[in-house]
Amino acid sequence: MSALVQGSLWPLLVLVWPLLLGLVPLLPAGGRLALRVLPLAPLPALGFALAGAPGTVRVPDLLLDVQLGAGLTGMPGGALLIGMVAMVWAVAGWQAALSMAPGPQTGILAGFWCLTLAGNLGVLMAGDAVTFYVAFAAVSLAAWFLVVHDRTAAALHAGRVYIILAVLGEAALLAGLILAAQAAGSTGIGAMRAALTEGATPALALMVAGFGIKAGMMPLHVWLPLAHPAAPVPGSAVLSGAIVKAGLAGMLVFLPPGTAMAALVLVLGLTGAYGAALWGLAQGNIKAALAWSTISQMGLMLALAATGAGAAAVAWALHHGLAKGALFLAVGVVAAARSPRQRLATLALAGAIAASVAGLPPTGGALMKAAAKGAASPGLALAITASGTTTALILVWVITLLARGKAAPEPSWPLMVAGLALLGGLALGLPWALASARPGLDPGYLLTPAALAEALLPLAVGLVLFVLLRRLLPLSLPWQPRLPRLTALRRPPLAGRRLRRPGLSRSSLSRSCLRYLPADGFLRHWPAAGSLMALTVLVMVALLMHA
Amino acid sequence: MSGALPALILMTSLAPAVITFFLAQESHRLRNMLNLGGAVLKLVLIVAMLLSVAGGATHEATLPLAPGLVMLLRVDALALLFVSLSAVLWLLTTIYAIAYFGTKAEASRFFGFFSLCVAATTGLAMSGSLISFFLFFELLTLATWPLVAHKQDKPSLRAARQYLAYALPGSAALLWAIIWLESATGPVLFTDPPDLSALEPASLRAIFALFIIGVGVKAALLPLHGWLPAAMAAPAPVSALLHAVAVVKAGAFGAVRVIHDVFGAETVAALGVGMPLAVLASATILWGSIRALQQDEIKKRLAFSTVSQVSYIVLGAALGSPAAMIGGLAHLVHQGLMKITLFFCAGIYDERAGVRRIDGLNGLGARMPWTSACFSLGSMGMIGLPPLAGFVSKWHLGLGGLQAGAPWVVAVLVASTLLNAAYFLPLLYRLWFLPAATDARGNEAAPGLVVPAVVTAVASLGVGLLAASAVSPLGWARLIVERGYFPGVGT
Repeated sequence: MSALVQGSLWPLLVLVWPLLLGLVPLLPAGGRLALRVLPLAPLPALGFALAGAPGTVRVPDLLLDVQLGAGLTGMPGGALLIGMVAMVWAVAGWQAALSMAPGPQTGILAGFWCLTLAGNLGVLMAGDAVTFYVAFAAVSLAAWFLVVHDRTAAALHAGRVYIILAVLGEAALLAGLILAAQAAGSTGIGAMRAALTEGATPALALMVAGFGIKAGMMPLHVWLPLAHPAAPVPGSAVLSGAIVKAGLAGMLVFLPPGTAMAALVLVLGLTGAYGAALWGLAQGNIKAALAWSTISQMGLMLALAATGAGAAAVAWALHHGLAKGALFLAVGVVAAARSPRQRLATLALAGAIAASVAGLPPTGGALMKAAAKGAASPGLALAITASGTTTALILVWVITLLARGKAAPEPSWPLMVAGLALLGGLALGLPWALASARPGLDPGYLLTPAALAEALLPLAVGLVLFVLLRRLLPLSLPWQPRLPRLTALRRPPLAGRRLRRPGLSRSSLSRSCLRYLPADGFLRHWPAAGSLMALTVLVMVALLMHA
Repeated sequence: MSGALPALILMTSLAPAVITFFLAQESHRLRNMLNLGGAVLKLVLIVAMLLSVAGGATHEATLPLAPGLVMLLRVDALALLFVSLSAVLWLLTTIYAIAYFGTKAEASRFFGFFSLCVAATTGLAMSGSLISFFLFFELLTLATWPLVAHKQDKPSLRAARQYLAYALPGSAALLWAIIWLESATGPVLFTDPPDLSALEPASLRAIFALFIIGVGVKAALLPLHGWLPAAMAAPAPVSALLHAVAVVKAGAFGAVRVIHDVFGAETVAALGVGMPLAVLASATILWGSIRALQQDEIKKRLAFSTVSQVSYIVLGAALGSPAAMIGGLAHLVHQGLMKITLFFCAGIYDERAGVRRIDGLNGLGARMPWTSACFSLGSMGMIGLPPLAGFVSKWHLGLGGLQAGAPWVVAVLVASTLLNAAYFLPLLYRLWFLPAATDARGNEAAPGLVVPAVVTAVASLGVGLLAASAVSPLGWARLIVERGYFPGVGT
C-alpha cells in the first residue's frame, strides 16, 4: 500500500488552500467574510512561486492518480507564470474586498472565485492529463459566475455565449486529451507531448480548439469582448490577466512547434494580433476596448508559442498579465478617486502601464518585447515590431476612454490605488529585475539609439494614426455577436409531435394484444399473488441453504 | 467456500417482502423497521462478503431444480459490484420511500413488491448459471409491474401495461436464446464458458441477437426503450430504483454477462457482433439525449437521459477492450448514483413544491438549496464534468473505444456530453438564476427525502474524486477486468 501523498506538500497546499477558502461563504456568518478572504487565497501560490516552485507531489488515490508540480509540465518558466497569476488574483481580490458591496450574490461570487483560482493554478502545475483537464474545467466553467455576477441582461447574454463556448471547448479538449493519452499509452504530460510531436493531428486540432477558445484566439474569441464588460471590475482583471493565460499554458504544454497545427495557430495568432487591436478602436466601452487589446496581445503570445519561442511567450505573458490586470483594475480605481488630483494621478499611473504594454522604453514592456524579438524568427520579429503601431492605437484609445469615465468616489481609494501601484510597478519593473538576474542578457542595449528608434517608431506612427483616425471616423461601432438562444435547441424541427410516443404503444397490434390481457383487474389485488411468488423463491432459497 | 452467505443475503430482502405482504396498512412502524432492518443487515453481510472476495474467495450454493436445470448462486467480483450497488441504494431508497409514502394507502403492497424487486435484482446479480439468471430476471419483470401500476390511475396502468408489452416478449426472446444455446451445449455456468463449437456461426449470431433482445428490453436499448419513459408515471421511489438499480441495470448487467461470460469477448469479436452492438448502443446514447432535449416534464427528461446513459454500459461491454469494459462497469455504479440522485430530487420537487414541469423549477434553488445542490451535482455528473463520477466513465470509455479500434466512440462521447449539457444546464440555470413565480411554494423540511439525495450526491462526487483508490467503483471494475476478463492486462 503506497502512501497517501508522495512528495512535497507545497504544490498541494497551493491548490487546497483556495478551495478551502472557497467554502467560507457556506459558514453561518460567511457572507460578510467571503469577500475579505479573497486576497488571501493566492498567498500560498505566491510563496510557492517566490521559492522557485519547488517539488512535485503525487496523490495516487485522488482522481486518476494526481501528479502536480511546476517541473512536470515541461513549460519554460512555470514558476514565473504561477507567481504572476497569484499576484493578479491577489490584487484583484484585494480590490474586490475593498470595492464590492456585499449582497445576496457575493457568497456565490467568492466561492466560485476561489474555485476558478484553484483551476487556474492547477493548469500551470498539472503533471498528468486528467489533473490538467479537471483544472482546466474548473477555470473555464467556474469563471462563468464571474461573468454573470451582475445578473443584468447584458451579463446574462455574455454568460450564455461564454458557457456555450466553454462547454464546446471542454468537449473538444476532452476528446483531444483522450486521443493523445491513447497515442502516448500514458496520461503523463511529458509522454503525451512526445506522442503529439510525432503527429496525431486530430488530437492536436481538438486541443488547439479547446485552448484557443480560452486564450481568445481568433475566430474563437467572441466571448471575450462580451464577458469583460459584463463582469465586475476585479472579475475582468482576473479574466484578462490570468484566466486567458490558461489557454496559452495549454498551447505551451501540448502544442509542438513545427506541426501543421502550430502553423495554423501562428497565422490565427497574428490575425488576432492586428485585427483585434483595430476592431477594439470601434468600441465605446472601456472594458470592451481593453478586451480587444487582450485578444490582440494574446495573438502575439500564441504566435510566439507556436514558433517554439516558449520562454519568450511566458515572459510576455508575465508582463501582459500584470499590466492588463492592472489596467482593468484601473477602470475601478480611476472612478473611485475622490478628487481631480487623485484622478489625474491614477490616470498617469494607468498611462505608464499602458505605455509598458505598448513597449515604450525604458518600461519593462519594452525590454520584454526586445527579448521576444530576439527569440523569434526574423519574420515574426518584424511582425512584433509592427504590432507596436496597432497596440499604441488601441491603448491611446483606452486611456482616452478611461479619462472620460464617470467618477464614483469611494473612501477606500488610497488602499485601492496601492494595489494598483503594486501590480503596475511589478509590470514595469519585474522584467528588468529578471533580466539583471540572468547572466548573458544585457538590458543596456535597449538604450542604444538604434534600438530606441526601432521601439519608438511604431509607437509614433500609432499616435499619428490615432489623431488622423479620430478626425476621419466616428469611433463607435456597436457590435455584438448574436448566438441562438439555448432554448431554441429544445425542439428540433425533425421531431415533432409525430414522434412523441414512438414504439409499440401506438401500434394497433400491441393494443389489440393488450385488450385481451385480463391482467389489470386481477393484478390490482396482487399482494396475494405477489406473496405467493415471493414464498416460492423463499422456499427455493431455503432449500439452497440446506443443500 | 460457503453457500450460506449468498443465500442469507438474498433472504434479507426476501423475508421482509413476504412478511410485509401480510402486514396491515396501519402497522407502519413494524413495516418500516422490517424493511430498514433488512436493508441494514444486507449491507453488513455484503461488507463481510466484500472483504472475503477481495481476498480471492468465492461463495456459491447450488440447487438442482430438475435434471439439467441447476440453480446456482455464485458470488464473484462482478456480482458483488452489482449487489453492493443495489444494497446501498436499496437502503437509501427505503428511507426515501418511507418518508415519501408516509401514511399513504397500499403501503404494504408497495413495500412488499419493492423488497421483492430488490431480492430479484440481488438474485440476478448472484446467479451463476443462465437458468438461475433467467428465473430472477423474470421475477424482476413481474415484481416491477405492481410498482409501476402503484398509483392505479390511468397513466400508471397504461405505463404498466406498456411495460409488460415490452418485457414479456423480451423474456420470451431470452428464454428462446437460453433453450437454443443449452440444447447444444448443456447447462451454461458463468464460471466455465460453454463450448460453442457445436453451433454454426450463423446460429450463434442468432442466439446472440436473441439474448440482446432479451436483455435489451430491460436495458432500454433502441428501439426497445419505449416503456421506460412511460414508466415514469410511477411514484418517485420506484422511478429512482427502476432507473438506477433494478430494471435497466439488470438489462445492462445481463448484457455484460452474455458478452463476457456466455460468449466471451473473443467469440463475440470473431462472430462480428460486438461492433454492431456498440453502434446500436451509441445510437441509443444519442437518440436518448436528443429525445431528452424535447421533454418538458422533469421526470420524462430524466427518463430519456437514462435510456442514453445506460447504453454507456452496453457500449463498454460491446467494445470488448479492457479500458472500455472498465469504463462500462464503473458506469454501472456511477450512473446508478447520479441518476438516483436526480430522481430523488425530482420526487422532492414534486412532493414538496408541486413541480413536475421544467418551467416550475424557476427560482427553486433559493427555497430548496439542498435539493437543488444535489440536483446540480447529479446533472453535472451526467454531463461528465470532472471530477464527478460521469467523467471517470467517459474517460475510460473513450480510451477503450480507441483501444478497440473504434475512434468514432470518442465522437459519440463528445456529442453525448454536449447534448447532456444542452438538456441539463438550462435546468440548473432555471433553478438558480431565474426569478421564482409569484405563487411559488414549497420547502424541503423533509429530512427523510433530502438526506438520501445528499448522500448519493456526495457519493457521486466521492467516487469520481477518489476514482483511483482501490475501493472505488473504478478500482473494483479494474479488479474484475484484470482478474476475470482480461487477465494480465495492466491498465
